Amino acid sequence: MIKTKSRLRGLMAAVFATAAIVVPITASPANAATEITFWSWRPEDKVFYEAEAAKFLAATGISVKFTPYVATDYNALLSTALTAGKGPDVMQMRAYGGMSNLSDAGYFMPLTSKDIPALAKIPAGTLAGAQGYTSKLQYGLPYATSVLGVMYNPDLLKKAGVKALPTTWSSFFAAMDKVKAAGILPLGNGSGYAPGMEQLWGAVGPTFYGGNDFYKNIVAGNKTFTDKNFVASLQAVKDLVAYFPTGHAGLDYNTARGLFANEKAAFYIGGNYEISYFRSLNPSLNVGWMPAPAAAAGTPRYVTNWADGGFAINAKTTNKAAAIKFMNFLSSKAFMQDAADSLGWISTISGVKVTDPAVVSMVRAIPSSGTPFLTLVGFRYGAPTSSSIMQPGFQKVAAGTQTAAELAAAIQAGVATWYVPLKGKA
Amino acid sequence: MAKSGLKRDQQRFTYLLLLPALLTIIIFTSLPALTTLSYSFFHWTGFQRGGFAGTENFRRLFAFPFRDSLFMAMRHNVLVFIGILIIQTSLGILIAYALYRLKRGQRFYRTVIFLPVIFSLVIVGYMWQAMLDPFYGPINYLLHKVGWDSLALTWLGSTATALPTLVFINLWRWVGFPAIIFLAGLNAINSEYLEAAKIDGASEGQIFRKIMFPLLAPSMTIVTVLTFIGAFEWFDLPYVLGGSSGSPAGATDTLALMFYRLSFGSVDSGANEIGIGAALGVLIFTVVGIGAGFGSKYLRSREVQM
Repeated sequence: MIKTKSRLRGLMAAVFATAAIVVPITASPANAATEITFWSWRPEDKVFYEAEAAKFLAATGISVKFTPYVATDYNALLSTALTAGKGPDVMQMRAYGGMSNLSDAGYFMPLTSKDIPALAKIPAGTLAGAQGYTSKLQYGLPYATSVLGVMYNPDLLKKAGVKALPTTWSSFFAAMDKVKAAGILPLGNGSGYAPGMEQLWGAVGPTFYGGNDFYKNIVAGNKTFTDKNFVASLQAVKDLVAYFPTGHAGLDYNTARGLFANEKAAFYIGGNYEISYFRSLNPSLNVGWMPAPAAAAGTPRYVTNWADGGFAINAKTTNKAAAIKFMNFLSSKAFMQDAADSLGWISTISGVKVTDPAVVSMVRAIPSSGTPFLTLVGFRYGAPTSSSIMQPGFQKVAAGTQTAAELAAAIQAGVATWYVPLKGKA
Repeated sequence: MAKSGLKRDQQRFTYLLLLPALLTIIIFTSLPALTTLSYSFFHWTGFQRGGFAGTENFRRLFAFPFRDSLFMAMRHNVLVFIGILIIQTSLGILIAYALYRLKRGQRFYRTVIFLPVIFSLVIVGYMWQAMLDPFYGPINYLLHKVGWDSLALTWLGSTATALPTLVFINLWRWVGFPAIIFLAGLNAINSEYLEAAKIDGASEGQIFRKIMFPLLAPSMTIVTVLTFIGAFEWFDLPYVLGGSSGSPAGATDTLALMFYRLSFGSVDSGANEIGIGAALGVLIFTVVGIGAGFGSKYLRSREVQM
């Protein structure tokens, strides 16, 4: 009898032990034991992503390990990890040519609206930012749109006696002259940070080269970078250098942005992504935004915008179901709203509310005046990219050691070595 | 018979001791070098390897548009080597000599001079960037204060001053290294030579020039070869202060930065060219290998035997 009881107890213990192991596995395929890894180039967003990961864990039981790397090392680290057959389950991917080499090599899992329904609601132009260059498959979920333009400090303009916002190139210069005369720095931009020079051109250039028409023509090979209007767009940057701070060649990115954030400079030409940095330095800063002025009265003004970054899934992930679940979380309106509120994103998902007045102005301007960031969207798929020639070239133009026409010729010659529609054209 | 058995055992033990180092070199140096060599003979689309390319990647490296960047970067490497060799080595010898002659506190000063060598290079880079900031940096502030406005330059922002400034920062960080090598060389000189020279009435200058300096040749060989290798593989400091494009306007570009850009692409400007990057890696490896090998052989042939 005692022996039977003991056997029964043993059997019961074995059943409970087996159940303890088996039940959770069968009950939920993506359970509390599942952890997915998520890489990013934004260490500054760690707190945000970890808070979102906690929400995702509470909703699904899947934990997310967020690992950010320094932006400048991210491409190299991710490439090395993926080519070695490793890497994270989910990752931030750079837009257009920034990582198309990885997507074309098959390191990202192709996405469909069946798995990620939000993709069906994103405009085609925006989706292109996360597609392969050769395959044109959708490898990523573009999460934010970036917008270039002119940020201004209304208080400093008022102090300098600038009553109306400039709408043309000449009235912009007149306003900066007034600001300068009042003892205020007109522009915070410097030439020390080469990518910043390309972004400045990205904002002011389209009105000179003719926005979307020129973009379509040069992509098709009907126009070249030596076109007089394109040269005029490069010259526009040179003309602005006169309003840069003294010693602009030694101005690094953050010092330049700091001049505007700390209310030393009245204008700063850059992207919407600068605003969160401005506010981190000076939470009470009054920032206004306007599209870059028109080349002349009557010519159109353009708002340069592009899909800036996406989320992708590792093609070799062993946690596919959990990764897709996380991707759907990242494309949800709730997540996008949090990102818009905390990180200043202009979300690619419709219905997300923007509260910052400067960002609201940008969002409103895109439908009527939007134009792609020509060099980023069109010519970053081969080496040398137009950007890799343009960025140091602008530093030479700013220093007076190269002319706008010479820079245009260098871009044309470099890009024509790999971009078939421009081959053999000068 | 027993003796040769012992010799065999000793040999086996020696090889056993060499094995970890040998494996490390094979896995982390030889295999990656051979892989890079193989990469340079293939076509690449991003990270996808295509067909056999023969020497096309090498031809493209020496043709437009990469040729201009290659020669500019190589010129910078040569200038850095010459600058560091002349300034850093001379200062290293002087510091070593001063330390050698120091009666008291040699250990303290030796530590102070060697200290920057152990600092993190990234910290050193950012520290000097802050010091040289044209707006908020203390160096230009002091220059303005004393009225030397013309000397308050945009040190890291001007194409004329950026590379010399980087050489100076490198000097600040590394001068302790040759100084310690030369000090070890001076300490190894038999004191009887110096005493004999003194008895013969040689001045301090004559002793340094005629005895110490020639006997420092082995140290000079080490420093010169290491400086050559370091200068042609210079990456870290230019990357920290000028980014992967060698800002401003490529004025601080080096072969290693160009290799990085070609192999991995650039954050702000995009696409990579692995085949051409690998060809450049092979070129750097060849230049450094041949230069260091021949340089070392030549310098050793000129060394004075003690």
